[in-house]
Amino acid sequence: MNLAQALAYFLREAVVGLARGWKTSLLAVMTIGFSLFLSGIFLLVSINLGSMVDAWRNESRIMVYLEADSDAADLARVADLIESMPWVRAARPVQAEEARERFIAAYPSMADLLEGWDQDPLPASVAVEPDWPAVNATTLANATTTWREDPAVSSVDDDRDWLAQLEVVTTMLRGLATVVGGALLITAVFTIASVIRLAAHQHRDEITVLRLVGATEFYIRGPFYAEGTIQGTLGGLGAVGALAASFIALQRRFGDGLLGSLVASQFLNPTLLVALVALGAAAGLAGAILSLGREKADSARAAAGWGSEE
Amino acid sequence: MIELYHVSKRYPGGQIGLSDVSLSIPRGQMVFLTGASGSGKSTFLKMIYREEVPTEGQILVNGRNLAALPAKKIPYLRRTIGVVFQEFRLIARKTVFENISYLPRILGMDSARQRKLAYDTLRRVGLAHRINAFPLSLSGGERQRVAIARALINEPEILLADEPTGNLDPELSEEILHLLLEVNLRGTTVILATHDRALIDRVGHRVLTLDQGKLAEDRELPPGIVPNMRAGAASAPGGDAAPEPDAALESDAAPGPTTALPAEAGGTS
Repeated sequence: MNLAQALAYFLREAVVGLARGWKTSLLAVMTIGFSLFLSGIFLLVSINLGSMVDAWRNESRIMVYLEADSDAADLARVADLIESMPWVRAARPVQAEEARERFIAAYPSMADLLEGWDQDPLPASVAVEPDWPAVNATTLANATTTWREDPAVSSVDDDRDWLAQLEVVTTMLRGLATVVGGALLITAVFTIASVIRLAAHQHRDEITVLRLVGATEFYIRGPFYAEGTIQGTLGGLGAVGALAASFIALQRRFGDGLLGSLVASQFLNPTLLVALVALGAAAGLAGAILSLGREKADSARAAAGWGSEE
Repeated sequence: MIELYHVSKRYPGGQIGLSDVSLSIPRGQMVFLTGASGSGKSTFLKMIYREEVPTEGQILVNGRNLAALPAKKIPYLRRTIGVVFQEFRLIARKTVFENISYLPRILGMDSARQRKLAYDTLRRVGLAHRINAFPLSLSGGERQRVAIARALINEPEILLADEPTGNLDPELSEEILHLLLEVNLRGTTVILATHDRALIDRVGHRVLTLDQGKLAEDRELPPGIVPNMRAGAASAPGGDAAPEPDAALESDAAPGPTTALPAEAGGTS
């Protein structure tokens, strides 16, 4: 029997086995599907959250506020100092008058808040637009420290702390996806192992005969390996289908809202989807290998105790 | 050729399977293996098809040292050895054809060749008309003949039969015995383990007697029963007057074979 014949035989026998024990097979498929679905949900949230953090980071600015008594020369000097940094895309000086005008333009109903001050309540500032991909956290931290030490600078505001916290959440979600998904996948592997072991146990008489007449272990175990792999693949496909359905449902329900942005603005890319299915197939195969490790001993015991077929 | 050199087998716990057995069985010989229960008959047979390995000594089958045979080579050894058991070991959910066609399928034969080979082999044992039957619909003697057909389908060099008549009444036992004698006449080495001394004395040939794992006796008896070869069966499988394969495959109603034996009337030891 050549390899193609053997594979065709394995598949045929595996399909027959799945059909014969469809209830237990369905349990295995659902277990692995559920674990992959849950992993996929965590992955989906972490990817969407990561995208959101990236978008916010790209849109965020650093504001360097000057002391109230600073003059135009101070503003120009600080702006030049900031712009000299290689990772700064733009550093735009904003005069106190311009800040006031922009505030009034943006919030006309609150314009009276700016009345009655001895000095401009809105100080002059420099709006810094970093080239985000080119700057790392350490460089930025060092730069802001330097700027704060300048006597003309009052304070430096940026969104890094908040973005950093969001990044921590994203990383935790990815870790949780790995841990929970991994734990569930291990459970699924053992479930498949039990199902395959049950199938092998039900066929132990035939396995004994196959060994007796000269079947190789590859020939004997192949159908069970194929059965486990098919179960895992079906579980993976089920998980991908459920993820897609959930994604569409969430998009329809929450649209552009925060929850929609968190889980339903971007679906898993094709590589990740294929990886999920492949992970299911690998888990199924692992389960089959695990179960058949002890099958030979079971089969030998069956042969020793073989009675009449009646 | 089967050769044993000082073969011993001790199981975990100290139970002795065989103890210092040395002997040689030439190709094509008919050998009876006898002894009380637990004397080591099954252990002896298991060692030849490499289900067990000796704890001491060497077993050579056609020059191959079985103790040194790698596990992955065992299937290829077993394809040259047919094994028949007292309890038949047929798969109840499979038809007779499926039960005997495991090895042709493993060897990758197409289904038409499998069918033809199965038919020819079943005709040898007189069961061509039962090719589509299920084991549970067969009598004990028929089941054992199916088991023998499974063992013979690849024309093995050696046929091992472990108490093949143990579950059968005397008449069916004679039938099976004569079938095995026919197989031997075709050149296959047959080793038949039985505790039925009367049967051995009547049939003759070489008799090995085991006692508590030791070879207590190795004697040659003159052949008694001569099997009645069904017409043409000895010269070519399927050479008897059974219906053509296609017709037989379609029906289970055809009459069964006969293994009428002169010895049944006047066989002597």
